[in-house]
Amino acid sequence: MSALTFTLNTTAKQRIDCSPLTPDLLAEQSLTDIAAIELVIGNATERVDSLFNLSGDDASEIQFVNSTDKLDFIGHNMTTGSITVKGNVGAYLGIFLDGGQIEVTGNTDVYTACEMKSGQIKINGNAGDFIGGARPGRRNGMTGGTVIITGNTGARTGDHMRRGMILIEGNAGDYCAARMISGTIAVLGDVGSHLGLGMKRGTVLLNQMPSQGITANFNDCGAHTLAFLPLLITSFRQLDSKFATIDTYSRIQRYAGDLAGIGMGEILVKI
Amino acid sequence: MIINGVIIDETFAEAFPMKGTRLIITALNAKWAMISAQAFTGFATSVIACGCEAGIERELDPSETPDGRPGVSILIFAMGGKSLAKQVETRSGQCVLTSPTSALFSGLEGETEIALGQNLRYFGDGFQISKMIDGKRYWRIPVMDGEFLTQEKTGVQAAVGGGNFLVLAESQAQALAACEAAIVEMRKCPNVIMPFPGGVVRSGSKVGSKFKALNASTNDAFCPTLKGQTNSDLSPEVESVMEIVIDGLTKEDIDKAMKVGIQAVCDLGAANGIRRISAGNYGGKLGPFHFHLQEIMA
Repeated sequence: MSALTFTLNTTAKQRIDCSPLTPDLLAEQSLTDIAAIELVIGNATERVDSLFNLSGDDASEIQFVNSTDKLDFIGHNMTTGSITVKGNVGAYLGIFLDGGQIEVTGNTDVYTACEMKSGQIKINGNAGDFIGGARPGRRNGMTGGTVIITGNTGARTGDHMRRGMILIEGNAGDYCAARMISGTIAVLGDVGSHLGLGMKRGTVLLNQMPSQGITANFNDCGAHTLAFLPLLITSFRQLDSKFATIDTYSRIQRYAGDLAGIGMGEILVKI
Repeated sequence: MIINGVIIDETFAEAFPMKGTRLIITALNAKWAMISAQAFTGFATSVIACGCEAGIERELDPSETPDGRPGVSILIFAMGGKSLAKQVETRSGQCVLTSPTSALFSGLEGETEIALGQNLRYFGDGFQISKMIDGKRYWRIPVMDGEFLTQEKTGVQAAVGGGNFLVLAESQAQALAACEAAIVEMRKCPNVIMPFPGGVVRSGSKVGSKFKALNASTNDAFCPTLKGQTNSDLSPEVESVMEIVIDGLTKEDIDKAMKVGIQAVCDLGAANGIRRISAGNYGGKLGPFHFHLQEIMA
């Protein structure tokens, strides 16, 4: 058996909702059935085979080839299997993901890992705004799982994030960890302005002091040796990421905030 | 059966089912990990009055502990899951949380789970922080020396308590020396503890008493000073009897520990005043686990 592959054969002018194309929904379906699935594109629908060339037969392992940033909702509500995307993807990659793995070789648009529950997403590129966040009007972002970004992230990374882990090998944009409820965001590079605005709980682990400093809403709690850090860093070893190669450390400078709110969040800066 | 001049009685030790868990205590150095472990396992010799039986399994190298610091592995046993949970919680709170630089982890993936730091976290008064790492929840509780890190739960498994054997010697000193030799070897066995002081009991008990308030009393048949007063099990030359009690995660673990312990005693042999090895049982009515001495040593 070979991976079920969807090769985009058109230059999409409208956004394509790819939510029906997950291992869960395609299991036990024939290629003929899959080809006949109607996808929402703009305000119309089109058959899968009018947008993609299909090959392969293993629906537990799906590939999108020649992908563009018009492909939205890839991995929607997925609970098992894997999806590999070659190219950029649109919004809401891995929304409600509850198991399985998604890997993208390219950049993702807004709301990647939105309200994700478990599983793993790896983006070999940059991610847009609101990664791991909640849908507009919702109060809980991702509640579990791991997201790895080899590049940079946009604004409001981990907005309303409740649990889980976001690992950013590059830089994080403005308002990182804003309104964060819990969970862990780790950044190897720099972080933009307004880090942790409205943060309630949770941990932001930084490899270096942000070039724009820590906001006044966070109080310096001093330098400390924290026993959980070696455990956390050791847990990174199993990941396909730069985080797997960082030396174990436990010495950090701790900042607590956002003190305009309940102030139970923390920014830990390696020292 | 006779080994090196020591008679191995044709009898068996009788043991009973318990629930057990393993905990790992780490600290800044081995000294403080051991201090915390000793506090945790203190006053835990017998479920009769202590509520649990606990002991130090072994010291752990930093490479063997979750946080890469020196540690100590301890085993704790109780008659049921609820009583075990209560003992784990109170001892963790009073003996590990309070111990400088300590951290506390589960050392057992069991059939069921009980709280470890799940309730201790409230000591943090709202400042405690939860962290999920590799699917396991940990609690970081701010304390005056920094942070106390503890895993939320620990596994529990069915275990065996009350494995034992008796060392019958010509003198107190010889009985003690033989037991010390046995304990040295038995402590090399994984998954077992010898919960009594130094691993040795000098006051073995029988079930029942002439006093209604007591459900156990001295094992007069093995008390050398009562040889002329009671239905003694001792020959004239035996002047001292000591017992080693073993709790283990499985019957097989206790089998192995008893074998190496009895062998260590027999290695000293009759030349060092060791006369007999026997065991405590209650006619097979108390517990389902029977450790037949001659089968173990065969």
